Amino acid sequence: MDDSWDNAGSRWRGLGLTDPIKTVEDKWLLLPAFLQVKGLVKQHIDSFNYFVDVDIKNVVKANNKITSDVDPRFWLKYIDINIGFPDRNEVETVDKRVTPHECRLRDITYAAPIIVTVQYTRGKKIVQRNVNIGRLPIMLRSNKCVLTGKNESELACMVECPLDPGGYFVVKGTEKVILVQEQLSKNRIIVETDTAKSIVQASCTSSTHGGLKSKTYVVTKKGRIYLRHNSIHEDVPIVIALKALGIQSDKEILLLTAGNTEAYKLAFSASLEDAAKLGIFTKQQALEWIGARVKVNRRVMGPRRPTWEEALEALATIVLAHVPVTGLDFRSKAIFVATMTRRVLMAMHDEKMVDDRDYVGNKRLELSGQLLALLFEDLFKTYNTNLKSAIDKTLKKPSRVSEYDAWHTMQFQGDHITSGFVRAISTGNWSLKRFKMERAGVTHVLSRLSFISALGMMTRISSQFEKTRKVSGPRALQPSQWGMLCPSDTPEGEACGLVKNLALMTHITTDVEEEPIIHLAYMLGVEDISLSTGAEIYAENTFIVNVNGTIIGLTRYPKDFVLHFRKLRRARRISEFVSVYINHHHHAVHIASDGGRICRPMIIVEDGRPRVTSNHISELKRGELTFDDFLRKGVVEYLDVNEENDSYIALYEPDIVKGTTHLEIEPFTILGAVAGLIPYPHHNQSPRNTYQCAMGKQAIGAIGYNQLNRIDTLLYLSVYPQQPMVKTKTIELVGYDRLPAGQNATVAVMSYSGYDIEDALILNKASLDRGYGRCQVLRKNATLIRKYPNGTYDRLADAPLDENGQKAKKYDIIQEDGLAGVGERVDPNDIYINKQSPTNANDNQFSGQAATVPYKNTPLSYKSPIAGNIDKVMISDTDNDQTLIKVLIRQTRRPELGDKFSSRHGQKGVCGLIVNQEDMPFNDQGINPDTIMNPHGFPSRMTVGKMIELLAGKAGVLSGKLQYGTAFGGSKVEDMSRILIDNGFSYSGKDMLTSGITGEPLEAYVYFGPIYYQVRFLSQPSKLGSQSTEKISEHMVMDKMHARARGPRATLTRQPTEGRSREGGLRLGEMERDCLIGYGATQLLLERLMISSDQFEVNACQKCGLMGYNGWCSYCKSSKTMAQLTIPYAAKLLFQELMAMNVVPRLILDDA
Amino acid sequence: MNNDGNQQNQGSMGGIPMQAPRQDMEYLCADCGAKNEIKSREPIRCRECGHRIMYKKRTTRMVQFEAR
Repeated sequence: MDDSWDNAGSRWRGLGLTDPIKTVEDKWLLLPAFLQVKGLVKQHIDSFNYFVDVDIKNVVKANNKITSDVDPRFWLKYIDINIGFPDRNEVETVDKRVTPHECRLRDITYAAPIIVTVQYTRGKKIVQRNVNIGRLPIMLRSNKCVLTGKNESELACMVECPLDPGGYFVVKGTEKVILVQEQLSKNRIIVETDTAKSIVQASCTSSTHGGLKSKTYVVTKKGRIYLRHNSIHEDVPIVIALKALGIQSDKEILLLTAGNTEAYKLAFSASLEDAAKLGIFTKQQALEWIGARVKVNRRVMGPRRPTWEEALEALATIVLAHVPVTGLDFRSKAIFVATMTRRVLMAMHDEKMVDDRDYVGNKRLELSGQLLALLFEDLFKTYNTNLKSAIDKTLKKPSRVSEYDAWHTMQFQGDHITSGFVRAISTGNWSLKRFKMERAGVTHVLSRLSFISALGMMTRISSQFEKTRKVSGPRALQPSQWGMLCPSDTPEGEACGLVKNLALMTHITTDVEEEPIIHLAYMLGVEDISLSTGAEIYAENTFIVNVNGTIIGLTRYPKDFVLHFRKLRRARRISEFVSVYINHHHHAVHIASDGGRICRPMIIVEDGRPRVTSNHISELKRGELTFDDFLRKGVVEYLDVNEENDSYIALYEPDIVKGTTHLEIEPFTILGAVAGLIPYPHHNQSPRNTYQCAMGKQAIGAIGYNQLNRIDTLLYLSVYPQQPMVKTKTIELVGYDRLPAGQNATVAVMSYSGYDIEDALILNKASLDRGYGRCQVLRKNATLIRKYPNGTYDRLADAPLDENGQKAKKYDIIQEDGLAGVGERVDPNDIYINKQSPTNANDNQFSGQAATVPYKNTPLSYKSPIAGNIDKVMISDTDNDQTLIKVLIRQTRRPELGDKFSSRHGQKGVCGLIVNQEDMPFNDQGINPDTIMNPHGFPSRMTVGKMIELLAGKAGVLSGKLQYGTAFGGSKVEDMSRILIDNGFSYSGKDMLTSGITGEPLEAYVYFGPIYYQVRFLSQPSKLGSQSTEKISEHMVMDKMHARARGPRATLTRQPTEGRSREGGLRLGEMERDCLIGYGATQLLLERLMISSDQFEVNACQKCGLMGYNGWCSYCKSSKTMAQLTIPYAAKLLFQELMAMNVVPRLILDDA
Repeated sequence: MNNDGNQQNQGSMGGIPMQAPRQDMEYLCADCGAKNEIKSREPIRCRECGHRIMYKKRTTRMVQFEAR
């Protein structure tokens, strides 16, 4: 183009045609705005809020009436249910509000009362009252939590960290998370093929609000199609099923299933013939046929119903329970079955028509709210049956003094609901017989090894698939998880790909009411499906409209319908989380309003232009707009995976073309919170990012602003944590810069001393002295000063004195109250709680004076081999008035040989050598490295991100600024090199170093600069499944180091014990033994396997070959032929065990 | 103190139970910082604010750290 285009005439608002189009800058600011509204763990909190505000009321509404079998005039009705705010479960306290921190410290449950409003008859009157029926554990930061909406200083008053994400429960003092569970979506048809057996099946798991689930299949068997359901013994030929559902004529059946497609008709004809062969032509005959095969489970023996009624009931209520049957109008259910059949026919004809189970759009995420709702329904039903029987019992009494008041009965219903919740959450066992649910390991202890590990746990999604199966499908990265699930963050090993993590900008939907949406669909011109036949349903231009998997009607203008529907959603006439999309494969429009769909916000593009403008962003910057305003204005909307598939989304603004419908807010949001910590991840080989995701959770650092007020079982804290020189936007958003876990080490990439092979690192001793990598370990030691049921109690005693009136060394730190003084040093085997317990504590017959009973010492002594200091001694009491004492003991550790370190690029290494500062190389400014890293770590791992991090970090240090390494962006290498040059360094980041040993310049330039190193890290903290905090042994040498010369032996075999914890020996195993045999080192063998192990002298009789004792053979009754010999004790044991089994081992002795 | 009643377990057992400490041990309320005394077998509660968590005061003895 030349100037002729750009002359004054063709200018508009001062811009020429060839000027670059202004793009919306800083549109990423929508992300912090989103996180401000939603927080990082919004999925948990939203789900819990939905349960507390909406779902719990539905549960009560479904079970709202109690009547009495004794007095027919009595009734009790639940009008309403409300959850209060968490409070102390004590009577006399003035201020009843309780903070989560207090619950953690006192080992109590952070729970709020459940208050129901009941109406019931008292005599002839109707009374309305509020009753507390139990306590519900409250999720932190939910709308019933005292922390919600508090600012930083208010949170500080409550000893709570403002960066703590919340979303977990505090039950009996431990923090418990209900992990997100991934499931196949309910009420949707999934078509699958088994190519080996050439079976095509369409299945549909029905789930209604009652919680009952059942699965219905339409399957092919030998070319015929059948309906299969658990409640029917035999597979029902599909034609019989359809006839029973009221479609009698074969023509209509054919039309509804095969339509006018010749191929489908052909495939279906065999099924039609089958029904005719069986002689079933009418609805009545079909019902009789099915009725004879329905599993009848009748508890109450009433008059036997005719078989056809059994069939009718099963078809109406059990088979495909989610499709509504009003009256006896089976039409919609028949069409649903017909649709399933048609899908089978389509898949038989064209194998591409099967569904993908692993497609994220076919998945639903189950959150804590749903699980709690089920649990509550179960508990509430039991509560009601208990209440009813209690009421019946009272009403049965012939004479009552006063009018019966059910309120009194409700007061004495015990804590069934409270204890049910506490038990389920603290054990993780959801065993609800009523809903045939038996799940273990639903909850996990929130991992507090580091801030990131806690955060990572909140975004984790676990899959229901069993881990042992060798199929790769569920584990593979799905293209549809783009932007929804983090592509990097998954564990290695058996759970690889099955445990996923949410991406940064996702939202999980909660249920939205269906009726208004159905109504709206009809208003938009959807025709009722019951009025049309197959010919119309499967016509070329007709699209079936589904709402949450149920067919509601037809439309002939799907594009218009969807367009109008979306317009209404953007105008906020319906919830923003309702999705609508066209499925061209199935010729259907799907509307989804169910809970558990993953969705994410996107900028709407209209006419090739994003609807978010620079004005919007500047208003956002000024704080005039919030994220909700963007939704309200209809410039941003949420898309779920299915609707995403029906959109054309531009990644960057210049990519917008004619058909574009949406624009990404920011590309780095495809990563999750943990992967977001990696600088320049787009320059790394992808597995390295995955490794870093696992390791980032193990880094020792700051845990929370309240970390020094917490008393956790085990707490690792870094002494001088630093925020990384090279940050990412995610780091700022999650608060990693405020709660970091690592230090910026100056790294020289060079080899040194040979103690750096295999990824080992060299550390500078002076750096360690200055505090590099130093950490503190805080360990909780708790005990209860119990009161026993027989009236006796534990007590604390002060230090005993010996004859000279001196305290023994191990009692040195015990003060008068029997507890160690705060700040005192504790040496190994010192006693820090001098507790004494009554000897007859469990004797329930005891009825004497509690003060006169004899006591025994039950002190707590310090077990660790390294001395520590008493950090805190806390005294409190628990729920049931037992005194609780927690002693926090602190150890300081500095890095030593063998401790692990890792950068943020999946490169871990152990410390191989600690070098004096004077021996370290230095540059011409006299700067020493903190760490020397071997360059062999780079070529095979291809972690280019790490090299750029060094470069950007160095530039940042020199210019006094923090640099950014945000994914798909960040500071540019060219700019970094420019800064280096401006500061007199080489553009390449290499420096000339002088050897500290020889004083000569090194022969090569060395890549030299700061890299963020994670200060040591712990072993896999979160293998999903049962894990105890004690089991987490860290990667610190001190906790692994072990040697033994002499020590304890096992009682049975008299061989040395096994394992470090039992101070065990180091086993010379059978393979080592083979070596020694091969070498012929007999004396060494003898020493290792007997003399140093379980040497034992036995007497054996040369005549009978049996063992005797003291030179006497008890078999031969003689001492003549006795000989003494040395054998391993285990061998002697074996002989005796064989004898016990009636096998005689005889020793044949010979001179060696 | 209370030698009555537990004569038999003085030797090996050791320790005089803390029924009434000789000099009162003081504890600090975790909420308001008020000084409190704790009597055995009585609920732990701050006299000032009713808070139920107490911390022990730091020892008056000198503590020496190894600079390492």
